[in-house]
This record gives sequence, C-alpha cells and structure tokens, in this order.
Amino acid sequence: MMLKNYNFTKKESRLYMSFMYVTFASLLIGGLMGLLQTLARSGEFQLPFGINYYTILTVHGVILGLVLTTFFIVGFQFALMGKTVGISDKQLKWAWIAFWTMLVGTIMAAVTILVGQANVLYTFYAPLRAHPAFYFGLALVIVGSWIAVFTNFRQLYVWKKANPGQKSPLLAFMVTINMAMWFIASLGVATSVLVQFIPWSLGYAATINVLLSRTLFWYFGHPLVYFWLLPAYMAWYAIIPKIIGGKLFSDSLARLAFILLLLFSIPVGFHHQLTEPGIDPTWKFIQVVLTFMVIIPSLMTAFSIFGTFEVRGRKLGYKGLFGWLRNLPWNDVRFLAPFIGMVAFIPGGAGGIVNASHQMNALIHNTIWVTGHFHLTVATTVILTYFGMAYWLVPHLTGRRLTPKLNKLGIIQTIIWTVGMAIMSTAMHIQGLLGGPRRSAFSNYMGGEQVETWISYQIAQAVGGTILFIGIILMIYIFIQLAFFAPKGVQEFPIAEEEVDAEPTPLILENWYLWIGITIALILFAYTIPVIDIIKHSPPGSIPFDWPIGR
Amino acid sequence: MANKNKKQNQTTPKESEISLKGTFISVMLLGVFILALWFGSYALFLSR
Ligand code: HEM
Ligand SMILES: [Cu+2]
Repeated sequence: MMLKNYNFTKKESRLYMSFMYVTFASLLIGGLMGLLQTLARSGEFQLPFGINYYTILTVHGVILGLVLTTFFIVGFQFALMGKTVGISDKQLKWAWIAFWTMLVGTIMAAVTILVGQANVLYTFYAPLRAHPAFYFGLALVIVGSWIAVFTNFRQLYVWKKANPGQKSPLLAFMVTINMAMWFIASLGVATSVLVQFIPWSLGYAATINVLLSRTLFWYFGHPLVYFWLLPAYMAWYAIIPKIIGGKLFSDSLARLAFILLLLFSIPVGFHHQLTEPGIDPTWKFIQVVLTFMVIIPSLMTAFSIFGTFEVRGRKLGYKGLFGWLRNLPWNDVRFLAPFIGMVAFIPGGAGGIVNASHQMNALIHNTIWVTGHFHLTVATTVILTYFGMAYWLVPHLTGRRLTPKLNKLGIIQTIIWTVGMAIMSTAMHIQGLLGGPRRSAFSNYMGGEQVETWISYQIAQAVGGTILFIGIILMIYIFIQLAFFAPKGVQEFPIAEEEVDAEPTPLILENWYLWIGITIALILFAYTIPVIDIIKHSPPGSIPFDWPIGR
Repeated sequence: MANKNKKQNQTTPKESEISLKGTFISVMLLGVFILALWFGSYALFLSR
C-alpha cells in the first residue's frame, strides 16, 4: 500500500524551521558551557568574572538536556506529522502557539539561571531553591509542549476520519506514542512544580516534601530520556532504511516495539532513587524488574536494524556472513551520523543496565560514570541521529540542497564528535569507577590517595571537551549554510516504504484504549502504594535552602 | 557493479527467503557484550 505524503507549504516550513533555530542556538550556548565545565574541572583554568560553576552547569543541563531536545523533538515530530498526515491552518496556528509558549518559558528560565537566581541544576532537587521565575518558565515550556501534544493528536484524528479503515502512517503512529508518553509523564513534574515548588519558592508554603518532589521528578525523568530517544528510533526504523535504499523491515515489529516502550518507560522511575531512604525496597525491586523489560524492545530494535541492513545487502548480492556491511553508504552523512549513534547505543544501553541494577548502582551512583553514560546515550546516540536528520530536513525546509561539500563537512563533524566523545566519555566512565563525583567543580578535596587517581581523567575530559566544542562550531557552520546559503534545490524527505509482499499489520496494534489503558494500569500498580507511603510517612518537610547553591 | 545489480534485480528473492544469519549473530554478539559488561561490573562490586 502506498500512502500519499504531503508537500510542505512555505508557512509550514517556517514553523518547523523555527524549532530548528532554537535547537541549534541551544547547541552553541550549551556546548560552550560544557567546554567551560571540562576546562574548570581540569584544574588548569578558572572561570572568568567569578562565574559560579553551578550556574554554568545548570545552563548546560537545562539548555541541552531540556531545551535543545524538546525543541528539536517537537519541531521534527511536527514535520513528520505534516508530511504523513498533513496539518490544517487551524492546527498550524496552535502549533505556533505551542512554539511561542515554549520559547517564552525557555527565555524566562534561562534568564533566571544566567543572573544566578537558579543554581539548582536541571533536576532542581528540593530543598535547593530557585527564584519562582525559573519554575514558572519550566511550567510554560511544559504547557507549550502539551499544546503540541494535542495538536499532533488532532492531526492524526482528522487523518483517520478522512481515511477510514486504514492503518495510520507508521511515523504518525510513532509520534503519537511518544507524545502520549510525554503527556502522561509530564503530568508528574507539572504537579510537583505547580503544587510543591511554586508555592514554596514564593514563600506561601513554609516547607516541601523532598522525597515526594524527587519521586514526581523521576516519574517524569525516566520517560524523559525515552522522549529523547524515540525520535531517534523513528529515524532508525522508518527513515534510515530509505536512505540506504532499502525497505521497512517490519511495520508490525516497529509498532510493537514502540508500544512496549510506552508501557515500560513510565512505571520505572525508582531506578533513579535506589539509594534513597523512605521508599520500600520491594517497590524498588518491582520497578527495577519493569525497567529491565525495556531490554525487549531495545533488542527488537537492534534486530530490526541489523535485519534492514542485511536484507538490503543480500538483495544487492553481497555474500558472506557480514558481507552486507560493505554495501552501506558510509560516505553519506545522513547515514553515517545516525549509524555512529546506533553504535554508541551499544555501550550506552549496556551501561544503563548496570546503572539500573541495584547493587551496581551503589558502585556508580552520583559518580561521573553517570555523566559518561548519558553523554553516550543522549549526547551521542540521540544527538548524532538528530544531526543526521537535520542534514536533510533543514535544506528540505529551506528549499536548498545538501551539497557534496557540506556532506563531507558533515562527515568530518561526525568523526570529530566521535573522537571527542570517545575520549571524554571513556574518561568519565573510568573516573567514576574510581569514585570521582559528578556535579562537582574542581576540588582536591583536601588531598587523599583516591583523589589523586582522578586528575588525569579530568584532564582527558578537557581534551575531549575541547574536541567536542570544535565539532559544535562546525555543526553550527553547517546548519547556517543549510539554512541560508546552500544552493537552491530539492532535498528529499526520506520515508521508507513497506515491502510489496509485507504481511498486513494486526489491527490490535492501533487500539489506543488498550495500550494507554495498560500503561495507566502499570503506573497505578507501580506507584500507588509507595506514593501513599511517602505522603503518609515522610519526615517533616524542608525549608528552602539558598546555600551552598541555589540562589 | 551496475551489472551485478541488474542481474540481482531480476531474481530479487522474496524477503522470507533472504538469509538473516548475519543479523542473528550480530544480535547474539550484542547480548554477549551486555552480559560481559554486567558481570565485569558485578565482579568489581563484589571485590570492593
Ligand atoms: C561540547 C560538548 C559537551 C561537553 C564538553 C560536555 C561536558 C559536560 C560535563 C563535564 C558535565 C558534567 C559536569 C559535572 O557533573 O560537574 C556535563 C553534564 C551534562 N551534560 Fe554535557 N557536555 C557536552 C554536550 C552535551 C550535550 C550535547 C548534551 C545533551 C544533549 C549534554 C547534556 C548534559 C547534561 C544533561 C548534563 C548533566 C548536568 C547536571 O548534572 O546537572 N551535554 N556535560
Ligand atoms: Cu532512567
């Protein structure tokens, strides 16, 4: 079955590009902070003008972890929806409202951080207190994203009405899953911000229930990482096959994997709270088991990707067990960047299994290993896949072309990123195993044998960080070229099609009541009793602290 | 190359007939890697 794809109007393209501008501006600002962090932590440099280390670390975490990702995702997903199910004028208007709400919120939060009124890091753990404007800003970003959520739902709904009995386009289905997950998850953090943090930071509430706030944060925090990852999976399942000249491996497998990711991404937040007192170990155990369920869709994804490559290679006549690897378009950056992202996800994902295992969590908890882990996952796997999408999406939107020269620069960019991250992330992993703490400015902790083993790794991180920052400059250059200067032309929007003889997709995979129902049931199962426990048995709440970091 | 492609196209095997041995082995290797890292870290945990 061939589905019709929609062509973008100028007005639409402008919307999608607006999200891209914020994405790449964030990359530059956040990347600069990352560089400063590694330099400061090397002990060789001091931050100028008395800038607080925790101010730049908060900027880095918020701008890259929350802003860059959310803007890219919402923009990219709008483009996918526009392409596969279309967007009406009214929906377009709502999409703009979403954009501006998110942007105003971002600016509010960013300014509050930059003037030193919110040195609370991107997790804003209580009892650290930021200025209320920081929390209001975050709330606006979330509300803006909800407008995007319901606009996307509406887009699919309208398409369904116009195409009765047809299965939804795969990419539209995937966007809907991701947005459903995001909405359900962000209810937690929104509750915490509105009910707990804002009244407390304004002084209306004297104290805050710290454990409850952290629990609500991680109820959101784990699905957050899947919210970053699923757009990369969309690309791997439904776009990369087209770029390598192949077909969709299996429509049903892709949908099932996304459903499983929806089910097992939310009722698992306790794996970030394994060291926290006040949560019954039984419930930690249950949530860890649910966490491990995510290995199933992850390995399904790996299988599907290898399968796509092999089927394509075999059809071209490549022989031998791994002969098919040779046919892949290594010199096409639209493929290479996401491919390196996939490779990075092997140690990244395996490291995640270590993190979530209770005993071994004790080994790495709050060490810089964790930072090494998520620079592999979000800052390599996810980001390189986003870059890989931007190489064709941006010129597609601006009516330009990815020229061979820009393609080559992209390949160089990918290699620089790979080298820089390999150095920085490996050094972080090892230093973490040696006990080096994360979220820590340079310090020699008044001496000590163990501390002396750390410094060489911190210097290695500064070397890797410098290489990475060069990669960021190059990426910004490529983005500006693609947005404003590359030659006019037509750049393809690659979407993979099904094999002609593909098996039909079972209808049950699109039974939203069923899957969202199970999702909610799993959440209620995993959280109801422990949350009641937390509310009933918590110690007295905490007054706000503005020191040592905060305001 | 071009020639080879053409010939292959005429006899494009159906998906179900294509061997996915390489895929199978790749996924198994992936599993082995995960287990190796996990048990390595576990050994480190036990030794501390
Ligand atoms: C030039 C590239 C980058 C460098 C040099 C860099 C460096 C660092 C360093 C050294 C830290 C830890 C500092 C500490 O714990 O004291 C850190 C934290 C972090 N980085 Fe990066 N990073 C880079 C890119 C990215 C990207 C692209 C992302 C996300 C898309 C990202 C997300 C984060 C997050 C979320 C944190 C945690 C902040 C926190 O613990 O509060 N980084 N980065
Ligand atoms: Cu998690």
